[in-house]
Amino acid sequence: MIRLWWRSLARSLRSGRTLFLLAVLGVALGVASVVAIQTLNQGALGAFDGSVRAVSGRADLTVLGLTPAFPETLLVPTLADPAVEAAWGLCRVDAAVDGVEGLLLDMVGVDLLAPVGLPLEATLGAADPGDAQAGILAAMVTPGWVAVTPELAANQGWAVGDAIEVSSGSRTAPLVIGALVDFRTLDPMAPPNLAVMDIAQVQGLLARPGLLHQIDIRLRPGTDTEAAAARLGVALGPGVTVVTPEQRQQDTRSLLAAFRLNLTALSLISVFVGVFLVLSSVQASLTIRRREFGILRCIGATPLQVRALILAEVGVLGLAGIMVGIPLGYAMALANLQTVSGTLTNIYVLDGISNLTLTPGVVLLGAAVGLCGALAGALWPAVEISRRDPLVLLAPVNLHEQVSRIAFRLSAVAALAAIAATAWFAWAGSRTNYGGFIYGGIMMLALPLVVPLVISLTAGSARPRGIGPALCLRNLAVRRQASTLAVSALAVTVSMLVGVTLLVAGFRSTLISWLDVTVRADIYVSSKSWARAGPEATLDSDLLAGLRSWPGVAAVEEQRRMHLYTADRRFRIWLNGIKVADIPGAELATRLPLKKGAPEAVAAGLEHGEILIGEPLAQKARLDIGDTLVLSGPSGPLRYRVAGIAYDYTSEGGTAFVTMPTLQKSFPGEPTSNAALFLEPGADQDDLLRDLRAAYSDRPLVLRSNADLRREVLAIFDQTFAVTGTLRTLALIIACLGVALNLLVQARERAGELGLLRSLGATRRQIFGLFVGEGLGVGILGLGLGLVGGIGLAALLIVFVNRQWFGWTIRPAWAGQDLAQQAVIILLAVVLAAVVPAWKAGQADPLTLTRDDL
Amino acid sequence: MKSALRMILLAMAACFVLGAAGGVWRDAAPGYRWSFPADLAAHPDYKTEWWYVTGHLDRPGGETLGFQVTFFRVGLLPPGKQTGRTAWDPRDLVMAHAALTDPDSGRHVFSEVIRRTTPFLGGFGSPGDSMLAWCAAPAGTPGKWTLVHADGVFRVRVRDNAQDLAFTLTCRPTRKPVFHGDGGFSPKTATGDVGSLYFSQTRMEVQGSVRIAGRGTPVTGSAWLDREIFSNTLGSDQKGWDWAALNLDSGEDLMLYRLRGKERHDDFALGTFVDSLGAAAPLPGNAWRLEPLRWWASPHTGARYPVAWKLTVPGRNLTFRLEAVLPDQENVSALTGIHYWEGAVTVAPWENPDRIIGRGFVELTGYGEGSRPPV
Amino acid sequence: MLDTALAFDNVTMRFGGPGNAGRLVLEDISFQLAPGDIVSLAGRSGTGKSTLLHLAAGITLPTAGSIRLAGRDLAQLDESRRTTLRRLHLGLVFQFFHLLPHLSVLENILLPGWIAGHKDAALNERAAALLGRVGLAGRVGDPVAQLSGGEMQRVAICRALVLSPALILADEPTGSLDEKTGRQVMDLLLELVRSEGCSLLYVTHSRELAGLADRRWRLHDGHLEPEVPE
Repeated sequence: MIRLWWRSLARSLRSGRTLFLLAVLGVALGVASVVAIQTLNQGALGAFDGSVRAVSGRADLTVLGLTPAFPETLLVPTLADPAVEAAWGLCRVDAAVDGVEGLLLDMVGVDLLAPVGLPLEATLGAADPGDAQAGILAAMVTPGWVAVTPELAANQGWAVGDAIEVSSGSRTAPLVIGALVDFRTLDPMAPPNLAVMDIAQVQGLLARPGLLHQIDIRLRPGTDTEAAAARLGVALGPGVTVVTPEQRQQDTRSLLAAFRLNLTALSLISVFVGVFLVLSSVQASLTIRRREFGILRCIGATPLQVRALILAEVGVLGLAGIMVGIPLGYAMALANLQTVSGTLTNIYVLDGISNLTLTPGVVLLGAAVGLCGALAGALWPAVEISRRDPLVLLAPVNLHEQVSRIAFRLSAVAALAAIAATAWFAWAGSRTNYGGFIYGGIMMLALPLVVPLVISLTAGSARPRGIGPALCLRNLAVRRQASTLAVSALAVTVSMLVGVTLLVAGFRSTLISWLDVTVRADIYVSSKSWARAGPEATLDSDLLAGLRSWPGVAAVEEQRRMHLYTADRRFRIWLNGIKVADIPGAELATRLPLKKGAPEAVAAGLEHGEILIGEPLAQKARLDIGDTLVLSGPSGPLRYRVAGIAYDYTSEGGTAFVTMPTLQKSFPGEPTSNAALFLEPGADQDDLLRDLRAAYSDRPLVLRSNADLRREVLAIFDQTFAVTGTLRTLALIIACLGVALNLLVQARERAGELGLLRSLGATRRQIFGLFVGEGLGVGILGLGLGLVGGIGLAALLIVFVNRQWFGWTIRPAWAGQDLAQQAVIILLAVVLAAVVPAWKAGQADPLTLTRDDL
Repeated sequence: MKSALRMILLAMAACFVLGAAGGVWRDAAPGYRWSFPADLAAHPDYKTEWWYVTGHLDRPGGETLGFQVTFFRVGLLPPGKQTGRTAWDPRDLVMAHAALTDPDSGRHVFSEVIRRTTPFLGGFGSPGDSMLAWCAAPAGTPGKWTLVHADGVFRVRVRDNAQDLAFTLTCRPTRKPVFHGDGGFSPKTATGDVGSLYFSQTRMEVQGSVRIAGRGTPVTGSAWLDREIFSNTLGSDQKGWDWAALNLDSGEDLMLYRLRGKERHDDFALGTFVDSLGAAAPLPGNAWRLEPLRWWASPHTGARYPVAWKLTVPGRNLTFRLEAVLPDQENVSALTGIHYWEGAVTVAPWENPDRIIGRGFVELTGYGEGSRPPV
Repeated sequence: MLDTALAFDNVTMRFGGPGNAGRLVLEDISFQLAPGDIVSLAGRSGTGKSTLLHLAAGITLPTAGSIRLAGRDLAQLDESRRTTLRRLHLGLVFQFFHLLPHLSVLENILLPGWIAGHKDAALNERAAALLGRVGLAGRVGDPVAQLSGGEMQRVAICRALVLSPALILADEPTGSLDEKTGRQVMDLLLELVRSEGCSLLYVTHSRELAGLADRRWRLHDGHLEPEVPE
């Protein structure tokens, strides 16, 4: 049997090279999309985990502020706990490097005397540069001493002893590269932009005296971590939380859950479409070789043996697909690194992904997906052909196989499934987390099942009046089984394309109209290190005073943005304290489009210390006007009555707004992080911007015009959705491969028919046209079905999934132009996919007419 | 990490990083004008100083205990170089060592703290402050270790729950301070150009309580305070020192130290003899001899320390046998990697070893591998 | 009207090798078929009867010699022109009918018209008329799968005639039919060919059916010989 299998494999490879290659490509692309997305997902988590492990790898517990920073004196009660063996404070700052656009150092200020265990090398100021530890003291006393990673130093051309200037908020500090510290030796995923300084220098130069951002704790061996965490939680008071490294990683995972789930769901569509490809290629190759199987059955092979023979062959196909798909997926992940990384920093305020690794887990997953996908695609045809009567297999192919009866049954099943799923979703599913995805998945599975019926109804009724479209449609209807596969694959893909396109278009247009209302100031001022909205990226009061008195500036609005937890620690939100500019039209209540609440009432509420919350927060925390939002404050819970709910698209996690006086009541002395300038009527924005830039050229400021800001917001938005573009393209390529495959198979199967047509005088061009027409028919049917599916999918995404996972109101926008453009692209792609098969068909020789044909 | 701080401290010593960087540490020099109580407090202009309290405590129904509490100040940046921007400014390190020797149980317990001075982790008082030195207790123990001087009395408080070590002692000096060397300038080399400012409270009455086997026990006894201030380090050819502080029942006190060279056994030695009325006189190196009688090999570090000596002071017609109350009184510092022997000894007439006529403390540094003290 | 429907002039055909190396199938064959000529062709299996028909239809080109179909030298035409020529001047009838199963009876007959780009009602009328003449007027819309073998071949004959070709080539048109049905179909074919006035070259193994032709040829060792009736 093994020998037979080898022979049979060799034969099928020889005879069906293109077929095999297409199927391999289908598997490969499906595997690639899964590998790419999972690698990126892992990279996103790895970036965070890597930095956690590199900095806090020796810590059993970490104290983190529920407010942006906490008093350093908390070190004392921390050290007093009986389970604590060592504890050290960290002061962490995002520092922009002067002259290097977009580079933020993740500055870790640590007590270098503490047993942190940093691999410092080549330390500046140490008498013996080879002696790593000798330099710690030098690190403490050399002004501006900073250790950077060898990777960053190599990228920037820095050497030990070089001077650089960095900024945190509007503060700048001259630093000197004191050592290279390779965090990779601590954790392979450590980001290259980590930098280490003595805590005194970070706190004194770039952050605020008296405040820490983190305390790392090493426990005595054998102590109960949970109990210690609980005890410390009580001892350290309400302003901080004590977590294990695992909990920190878990927090990031849940923070990114929605983002990752969406990408995963999109990548699964590629797999789904890839399975169709395998299905049709296996079906085709089996059809071609049915006689071979008939003979095998006649001489005594059992159905099981035949099935095993086929599945083993498909296994080879799957393996080949995996071999191609895994490297391809990794390459795709690399290609999308920038955009995904940008999303992480911009939207999720996390570390960008600095390096990707192909983990064994992902390789295994890719392999499993490839193999299972290939086998899943082959199972039905294999079972079907092995069950057949040997004599039937030996007889000429009967085109009227039992599809027509099955078509209606399948459609009935699909209808039942859709109705059942809808009912479930309406009653229960819409309230569960994954309900929307499950419902969408079922509907996507049901879509292919109605395809045979749709083909029967549309193509089957075509009345050919010549070698034209109607005959093409008739041909599709006749080969319903093959056509169904191609149309289904395309329909599912188009559904995804249309669904995501409508979602993105709706979201974008909603965002634009939201920006029109909210972004009203003329010039926006923030610092270079503000990119991740770190708590220390603040503006000096003298700077703000200077802006206020600048000629032409009518008013300055100030904002303090802080990352805070709700008291129940379920949500981490951005609390914005806003000192509203004292000019008409700048009032907070009218500036943020209200979803709920009257502007006058909201304005009054805010004046009285109430809070205006963003829609996502209201949705997730189930808050309404009059409810109380309880946040963790520095010394206990802060209670705010909800005055109104505003549309808000600035953050997935949740946003809330209070007046600056309200904020400062709970956080006295919190500095301003951003400012917005309203100009006097008649003041020239461009001139003023130029003058300000010139005047503050020595300060690490970012000055943006109103238009700049909007452009950047939209650029971030586009970047966020860019990765879906890759996935969409991938699915489209797979679907087009499906069309090509289908037609190639037809060119083979229908050699007899084509020979007849040729002998009756049909030219090659006519045959070519016929095939392209059939491809176009598949395209149009797939497009039509996909459009319907896609609109449904978009509705599901916008109304349920988005609401549930993100909590945004998205107003649907009919992206007519986008959709038309995509339709044209799809049809072109399908026609292109049909070209090679059509050309092959055109080569059909009248001589191929044999007794077996037709 | 164990070796990290040792390496730092060695770097301070050998490479003279800070001296080179700052160059403004004040050197100890003869002619220092002492002033009290100001000179009990820290001297930030000098790089290194310590408050060294050692003594013997009697308790009901048990052998006499030995105790040691030391606060070291190690300057990081001289005052002119400090930025004053944050609490973490690298001014000094505070290093504290505490030990208790119980001959009954054969236990010698050692505990230590090393921290950067900050308002909340440890520091030193200024002249006029009653708090001379303090630091937050070792991780795992609440509270502080403190050395306070008020109303003419020193109060020492130390606690380490993990080691089950705690004592609170009040030490009342019964004599005036004794200034060593030349009016309190104690040379460390034969040329006399390098040395330290050095005085002692040789006799203090002690009252307080000590935690023994989990229970607080009232104690009384005697103690010795050493105060030494300097900026230099050991000479490169010196590897450690032997030091002894003895109180005799006769009322006489003896302080002896000798620096051991790498080549010679006695690189430099000096002592002070205090008569029963409290009058001090220098005891030059050639005026006394301290000969090891018995050695003990540490199972912790492998170092070999003498634990019994023959002390002769021919000029005073004194010959004593010094005997450690317990061989294992080695302090092994996990935080710095340094180890040294700091132990209570009994003093007996040479001819009659069983008759104890005094008690004292002996310090042995630079024995074994990697034990050269950083200062 | 041309005076020859098909002319072979010293036609030689070799397979499977360049020059004289290949297997010789036909050697130095010359003949002419005048309009209205009805010729039968016999010969053992493998003697090149089908090859001769393929050459006549312009599907393959000879190794040597020239073939003229409807007055045009096939060797002078490219593949596409030969196809068009075939479409206009030739009708083909096969042993296995070769009807497209997914087309109806009428649609199968219309197929050559569709290929030629005719869409007028006249073509439909002609197809219907032909069906009437072969006795299948009532089966216009039926799927071909429901027809018997004889009926299928009658449909195939209609398809061959629908564009009024000058010449019909038939490769064992009764080969898949029983003797009685075969005779009926052959009679019908001859009747139609005669009434349409076109030429017919048909291959058959049956002496009886061969005898229905005006002339009888036999292929033997690559040579064409007139067959003497018994």
